[in-house]
Amino acid sequence: MAAPYAVKLALQSLKKDKWINLLSMLTIFSGLFIFSLSYLIFYNVEAATRNLPEKFSLVLYLEDNLTRDNIDEVMASVRSRREVAAATYISKEEAFRELKATLKNSQYVLEGIDDNPLPDSIEVKLRKDAMSSEPVRKLAETAKKIKGVSEVDYGEKFLSTLHDIRKGVRIVGIILASLLSIGVVFVCYSTVKILFYRRNDEIETFKLLGATKSFIRAPFLIEGAVIGASGGMVSLAALYVLQHFVIFRMAAEVPVFRTMLFPADFFLSLPLIGMFLGISGAVIALGRLKF
Amino acid sequence: MEPAGPMIHFQNVSKEYENLTALHDLTFSVERGEMVFLTGPSGSGKTTLLKLIYVAEMPDHGSITIAGWDTTTLREASIPFIRRNIGVVFQDFRLLDNRNVFENVSLALRIRGVGEREIKSRVADALKTVNLRHKADSYPRRLSGGEQQRVVIARAIVAEPTVLLADEPTGNLDSETAEGVMRTFKDIHAKGTTILVATHNRDLYRNSGKRIFRLHGGALVGEEVC
Repeated sequence: MAAPYAVKLALQSLKKDKWINLLSMLTIFSGLFIFSLSYLIFYNVEAATRNLPEKFSLVLYLEDNLTRDNIDEVMASVRSRREVAAATYISKEEAFRELKATLKNSQYVLEGIDDNPLPDSIEVKLRKDAMSSEPVRKLAETAKKIKGVSEVDYGEKFLSTLHDIRKGVRIVGIILASLLSIGVVFVCYSTVKILFYRRNDEIETFKLLGATKSFIRAPFLIEGAVIGASGGMVSLAALYVLQHFVIFRMAAEVPVFRTMLFPADFFLSLPLIGMFLGISGAVIALGRLKF
Repeated sequence: MEPAGPMIHFQNVSKEYENLTALHDLTFSVERGEMVFLTGPSGSGKTTLLKLIYVAEMPDHGSITIAGWDTTTLREASIPFIRRNIGVVFQDFRLLDNRNVFENVSLALRIRGVGEREIKSRVADALKTVNLRHKADSYPRRLSGGEQQRVVIARAIVAEPTVLLADEPTGNLDSETAEGVMRTFKDIHAKGTTILVATHNRDLYRNSGKRIFRLHGGALVGEEVC
């Protein structure tokens, strides 16, 4: 089929059935806009929690009276683990100095403590890929069994909460994205199906005159693409308005909005996502044409 | 199309609709470049027979060959290309009301991927043949029954098919216009097109010197030259 004629037929149909097409486009816009807002939240939660584990460390408290050789053995044993990025020895004197420095405004807390009550310790930093609760828990258990280690301390609760938040946001994001994508595909499906039924007589005539399946399908696919892409473009425009007129203004009043990130690259692809979903809906709606 | 044997050949063809026999054990041939008439009362199976030729229906038994192609064993994707060699004057016209006469006639060429310039000249010629050039911008609903019928004929001939099928082509026409339509068919036939006209109007085939197939109750009950 001559492509310009398919475009002409599609544009004629878009114009002729403008209300149903407009309604579909607005429904797709709503779906993509909600999808984008969810992505915005997901993206910011991800960004905010991504660097937190770098501050996380595992502390191995050592038994008293270990020789330098014993400490080196413990250090070597810890460093041999794949999950370990760095291990630093902190002597009890150093730890006490740090404690004093930390409590310099609250010296009364240390009043009456003459001897250093702190043990020697090893601070362990972990690799990024090992930074989830299960591997850290296993490492802590293994570390506890190393000769010379009396106790292992790590922010188990913090790490597992952080892990749960990220996992939860991801799961909700995937479910929401899937549901909204299905919704957008369904809207395009029903629109094209209605248009197809309305033009059933015309399509029958096309077939009897010798039209191929691609000749019949092309205008509907173009319509699906245009409706989907238009929905995506309106979503993009709405996000622009949201960023410039809502988030920027609120940032002056609410500090959390100042650090908010806006994934513009992803949002710029919304018309393409809409177009893809629109074509998918049209393909499903047209199904298998019979002659 | 393959240049060998008859243009249309039915071999023991039967067709039923929900246990109602539409055609029963038909065997006949139409030669290349021949013009034949198909006659019989309403419900005798004329339209069904034409539908089998342009592959809008498939037979329950037997085989149908169009220009050497057995339509009963065709792949579905080949059907459009068989239909492009067959011009059909439908009894119910099948004109698109939302398109004007020019657009309706040009559709047969657009489907074949013909260029815009050629479309304009060929549609103008076809409309001239049926004496409707002045109605190119009119919409079907604004035309009389006879004019609509002539638009359908223009659409059927515009792509110069090798076979032309006409289902009651003069059913809505006065005798003068009907004569004009038949003259058009004869002109097209003179160029070598195979034509099959289904009609119960005796005036169309009387003294034509063409073969007439008589259908009754779905069976071929007679063949003669008038």
